[in-house]
Amino acid sequence: MVIADELAAPTRTTGGSGSSRLSIKFDRSVLGLLPIFLFLGYFLLYPIASIISSSIHDNKHHLTLSLYGNLFSGNYRTAFTGSFKLAFYSMIVSGIAGAIICWAVVKTNGIVRTITSSAAGVLANTGGVPLAFMFIAAFGQEGLITKLLLNVFHWDLYGGSFDLYNFWGILLVYCFFQVPLMVIIFTPALENLRVEWVEANESLGGSKSQYFRHVLIPVLLPSFISACLLLFASAFSAFATAAAMSNGSIPLVPLFIGNLVNGNVIAGQENQGDAMAMGMVIVSLFVIAAYLLLLRVTRKR
Amino acid sequence: MKRELAWLDRVIFAFAAFFFIAPLIAAAEYSVRGYGNKGHTFANYSWIIHQLGFSAALWTSLRISIITILIVLVLVVPTVVYVHLGGHRYRRLLEIVCLLPIVIPVVSLAIGAQVAMPKNLQSTSYELCFFYVVVALPYVYRSLDIGLQSVALSTLVEASQSLGADWFKTLTMVIIPAIRSSTTGALFITFALSLGEYTLAVLLHFHTFPTWATNISQENIYGSIAISVTTLGGAWILLIFVAFLPRIKSLFARKERVA
Repeated sequence: MVIADELAAPTRTTGGSGSSRLSIKFDRSVLGLLPIFLFLGYFLLYPIASIISSSIHDNKHHLTLSLYGNLFSGNYRTAFTGSFKLAFYSMIVSGIAGAIICWAVVKTNGIVRTITSSAAGVLANTGGVPLAFMFIAAFGQEGLITKLLLNVFHWDLYGGSFDLYNFWGILLVYCFFQVPLMVIIFTPALENLRVEWVEANESLGGSKSQYFRHVLIPVLLPSFISACLLLFASAFSAFATAAAMSNGSIPLVPLFIGNLVNGNVIAGQENQGDAMAMGMVIVSLFVIAAYLLLLRVTRKR
Repeated sequence: MKRELAWLDRVIFAFAAFFFIAPLIAAAEYSVRGYGNKGHTFANYSWIIHQLGFSAALWTSLRISIITILIVLVLVVPTVVYVHLGGHRYRRLLEIVCLLPIVIPVVSLAIGAQVAMPKNLQSTSYELCFFYVVVALPYVYRSLDIGLQSVALSTLVEASQSLGADWFKTLTMVIIPAIRSSTTGALFITFALSLGEYTLAVLLHFHTFPTWATNISQENIYGSIAISVTTLGGAWILLIFVAFLPRIKSLFARKERVA
């Protein structure tokens, strides 16, 4: 979930001097980067390379892609479908709710603005067991909000298919950090809207709905989609919260991998967890790549 | 246009505030409930402290966080300063490299660590420090980058060296103080992250404070809600501090300019 802040404003970091092209010729000043490259090489690339290597070998050390093939069937397929579904739903719900909140936030200034933006930064980084227990206290069977809704609004939260420990419950909990994430990522896009565009639209005789359709949506859509992609990646790879909420009852890829790590391995499939982990990396790579591409499109304008 | 929609904004804010504040209030109320729902008490909070392994887990987490911070200070801060000095030639390269950890889900990194790291490293919880540096790197880079872009770095370095300072002195006595708020911001993010990190710790089978709290929470529901309130409160104080740090600095900067 923390991903967000980071990718939110890469524009700031890239501008700078203008002469930031990579040069191919070797020169000694690159040696200053050696320590950090060695560090990341050993603690980031080497582990990933190792799981790539073991994910394409079966337990008899024969080269094979069958472990990846397995991901498309049985429990593995269920886990990936579950993760996709959770990430997708949470992207849609948090994306829209977050965008609406952004719309209200950009009109504020001063102390309200400071409070909302710091609150968003803080809430977006909340997760795991503390978050889970907070929701149990609020939305559990005996939770305060559940009681409040029942006694004041006569709405039984548990009357339908809702349960804090099933899919819909996890979705609700994910909103608690995904919506603030959206607020962080999407606010800069709304801030860039110009008053002149409203005026131009009015002076050309455009109505409000025309402004909405022909100005606002085309301008904001790429940033909206790219922000949503980030939400997708964040929900897809979240582990701590899902682990705390579900006790493994919901099929999700991170939980599945967690189970394998904890020794619940089926004989002869020792490397299957590595293939699953690589599956996650691949999905995440695609999503982030799409995000960066879209970001480039928005930045060019 | 702004005026007439003000009520709608208020409704949006009210809904958002309810969704985000109500669970906090609910958790706070639950955490002070007496045993068997009788009265209110702080017993649940003292229950936490008296659980087996409380101080050991907290101490482990603190040690790991401090070492993580030291690695960031020694490894990352000088490198980021260096690329900002070096004609910006490798800045883009370092930026891309520092953003890499975002693409790798932490769960996958944990699996990789288990497969790849040598056994003697895996047998000590200090292994986590290195991976926390990796996970924190994007935030650290961005925080430092913003700080470094806002100061006239080459002028500072020239001034310092013409006064006879060597590189180490320039770094520790000129540059780091000049970007103090973004350095502290970066270190606080690292600290908050490594104190609260759960995924790597649990998947690599280490006993840090978050994994200890998770284990203990299965015993006493009110106690575990009290733990949640405590850890959330602690994490939020840290993060709020980080969020306000740049604003505090700009406040001072304004005063200086006036003077």
